[in-house]
Amino acid sequence: MISFSQQNVTELLTEWQQGDPAALDKLTPLIYDELRRMAHRYVRHERTGNTLQTTELVNEAYARLLGKKNYDWQSRSHFFGVIAQVMRHILIDHARRRHFAKHGGGVREVSLEHAALMTQRRAAELVALDEALAELSQFDSRKSRVVELRYFGGLSLEEAAQVLEVSLMTVRRDWRAAKAWLYRKLKESKHSDE
Amino acid sequence: MTPDRWQKVEAIFQDALDSPPQERASFLDQAFSDDDDLRSETARLIAAHDEAGNFIEQPALVEDARIILAHKLGNNIGREIGLYRIVDRLGAGGMGEVYLAEDSRLDRLVALKLLPAYFASDDERLARFQREARAASALNHPNILTIHEVGEADGVRFIATEFIDGQTIQELIARQELTLAEILDIAMQIISGLATAHAAGIVHRDIKPDNIMRRGDGLVKILDFGIAKLLEVPAHGAPSAGTAMFTETGAVVGTVGYMSPEQARGLAIDERTDIWSFGVVLYQMLTHRLPFTGATRMDTLVEILEREPLPLLPVGTDAAPELRSLVQLIEKTLRKNRDDRFQTALELQNDLKQVRQEFASAGIRNEETFAELLSKRDVAGFTAASAKTRKAPSPFVFIALGVAVLLAVAIAAAITYQNLLTPRQAERSGAAPVTSSEKVYVEMTDTERLAFIAAQEQRISTMMGDRPAKLDEEALRAIKRQIDHYVARSGSGSDTADNESLDLIYARARPYLPTIARSFAARKVPVIIGIYLPMIESAYRPCFESSIGAKGLFQFLPQTARQYDVASGELCDVEKVAPAAAHYIADHMAELGDDAESMTLVLLSYNTGATWVRGSLRQLRDSEDYERTFWMLFRNRDRLDESFRNEGAGYVPMFFAAAIIGENPRNFGLEMEPLSTLTGMNDVTTLPPRTN
Repeated sequence: MISFSQQNVTELLTEWQQGDPAALDKLTPLIYDELRRMAHRYVRHERTGNTLQTTELVNEAYARLLGKKNYDWQSRSHFFGVIAQVMRHILIDHARRRHFAKHGGGVREVSLEHAALMTQRRAAELVALDEALAELSQFDSRKSRVVELRYFGGLSLEEAAQVLEVSLMTVRRDWRAAKAWLYRKLKESKHSDE
Repeated sequence: MTPDRWQKVEAIFQDALDSPPQERASFLDQAFSDDDDLRSETARLIAAHDEAGNFIEQPALVEDARIILAHKLGNNIGREIGLYRIVDRLGAGGMGEVYLAEDSRLDRLVALKLLPAYFASDDERLARFQREARAASALNHPNILTIHEVGEADGVRFIATEFIDGQTIQELIARQELTLAEILDIAMQIISGLATAHAAGIVHRDIKPDNIMRRGDGLVKILDFGIAKLLEVPAHGAPSAGTAMFTETGAVVGTVGYMSPEQARGLAIDERTDIWSFGVVLYQMLTHRLPFTGATRMDTLVEILEREPLPLLPVGTDAAPELRSLVQLIEKTLRKNRDDRFQTALELQNDLKQVRQEFASAGIRNEETFAELLSKRDVAGFTAASAKTRKAPSPFVFIALGVAVLLAVAIAAAITYQNLLTPRQAERSGAAPVTSSEKVYVEMTDTERLAFIAAQEQRISTMMGDRPAKLDEEALRAIKRQIDHYVARSGSGSDTADNESLDLIYARARPYLPTIARSFAARKVPVIIGIYLPMIESAYRPCFESSIGAKGLFQFLPQTARQYDVASGELCDVEKVAPAAAHYIADHMAELGDDAESMTLVLLSYNTGATWVRGSLRQLRDSEDYERTFWMLFRNRDRLDESFRNEGAGYVPMFFAAAIIGENPRNFGLEMEPLSTLTGMNDVTTLPPRTN
């Protein structure tokens, strides 16, 4: 009857911090579930024409995952760091499956349904972004983290700065450099594909 | 890119961006006077920065929200299953969602049914179904739907069948335009398909207008051979524990009208059951009504078992000569004792041919309808048979229906509840005024809607054992928003699970209601909770699995389920899970206190966990203006934990919205008996009155 308990999430975070890779496997479904709810709420708001602040949405979900008791700064900051990684993991995993289902499965493109094609393209973009991000981390790991926190974790610049314990200015500069580099990287790889 | 090189590029990139755009070129020249490579690298990065715009500015969540939902929430459009790609949704049946899909191997469209895990989890049953479905399909008869494939891919069990671009007989009947000639043609085609299947030893078991389609070119197809058997839950315990009722919980609820007496009694069935059901369909095509109907399913079953069909022709009139043989034919399909019916479809087919010939020689025109034919004979329409002429059911009929519990609750429901609480009765007795009862909800003004909601909420609060509380306007508006939301999505195209129409949710809910009602009543938990909770949680998906492994109609985690004697393989078995869910709620209510607010908290523990709920309750009880009403949650939400507030505030109005809609389906333009007529609903009042 219980969807998840807050206690579990904090425990798992600790285990993950202590280097237990299995914790991530357990954390993933919990976060995925929340992610799904967030998505649900987002789409619903969008449909009714209300714009929902993304940060609001994200914070609400995080607060629920952690529980009020554990929502103090330290675990919050730590949690943001982990959840961004988990979300990246989930989304990329999903995108890869779609992406390779297309290329490996030999399924013919059907023009009847555009949404499916969009989804495939999106999957390809996500996979490429993930790869580019991995490359970026090779020579500038902090920028890669900033993107992970912002893009996959949904954090604001301020929150990312807190998690990384650097100034807002630094995060802002990291972000624009990383964004420019990733943009160019993806554009190049798209051209080389065609 | 090496870290060193990147550092240089980035440093200049940052500085360049901080300087005015027109000075950037000269700034770069100056910075990289000796390294053209680095210069162009940096220039490209700056260009990329200027070009990037909103790239990755929106979190992935926002961009992928739809993908996530499409993947997890059942909007399967665009999804690929094996070699099929889902193109559109065709509808929902008792056994799962049906989609239009493209078969990538052959350039053709198919109807793809995704079997819910509930049905697909039993390998033996599925195998049996596969054998049967394939056997029927292998008959290769034009009036039997062809099954292309029964398979499994990407963890989903599916049936791919021929796609029929046409209408169900149900739809055709609803339009009331079928001429006599068309009806006879459809009947001939059905019986032709049945004759072939029966000759091969295959019985359909669930012949009804929903299971028969007519294509644009007039070809009639019988759908879903073998599926009825797949839906039958093997009886646990006593053999008399009615296959009929269990089948009912499976999928044919609401269609008991087509059941043969032997089916209703849970006896073994043979092809003569199909002949009966065929007779009912033929009867309905002619008269647009069913030969056996009652206010409740139980009443209908009694009619089937005990009473003669409503006369096909108006009382007191003898059949016109040319109609006589048709009337006799239908009467013979509807004999209680199957030995008195047509014994084979072939026999029936011969008689039907005869009828058609007689019609032709009597000069009946093709475009004539049955009603026209009757009125031409100067007969004033149809009147139902006078109840006086029909004998009352004897007590043994109920016993024949099986389960003792059912007997008790059915009788109680029939006697007590219906008299007390059906809206019309209630209104007449003045017990609970129903405002604007003449108007359908959608036609009401906002003020009328609020008044209507206030009245309904009081009725439901009473049912829940709570003293009706006068709601403040804010609370009423919260419920109204939920109801308006439901109503707005009724009939609208459904592109996500969330957007499903009310009809669809109801259609899915119906098979489970009797079981849930029974289980919850047995635990003295208000049945209304058992009924609405899954509606809120899952829009009544018979068995869905959340990513954390919660499964079934109720979201039971496997370990919780084990504590309540539900094995992991049984999480989709409503018969097992519903009593366990009732037990869980009863346990927690006993722990928290037997009052309405505890119940609310227990409900919320679906999402938040019982330990935490207990803490919140204590916290709340310590507070000074703790109100012992169901609405204390809503009123005190500011005092509650943040996550509770998020869940709770939305939850309570949602609960009432679902309850209000369910109590009065007709107020929302839905053709369905009110949930208050359900078996066991009378037990909602068994909650001990609060002491205060």
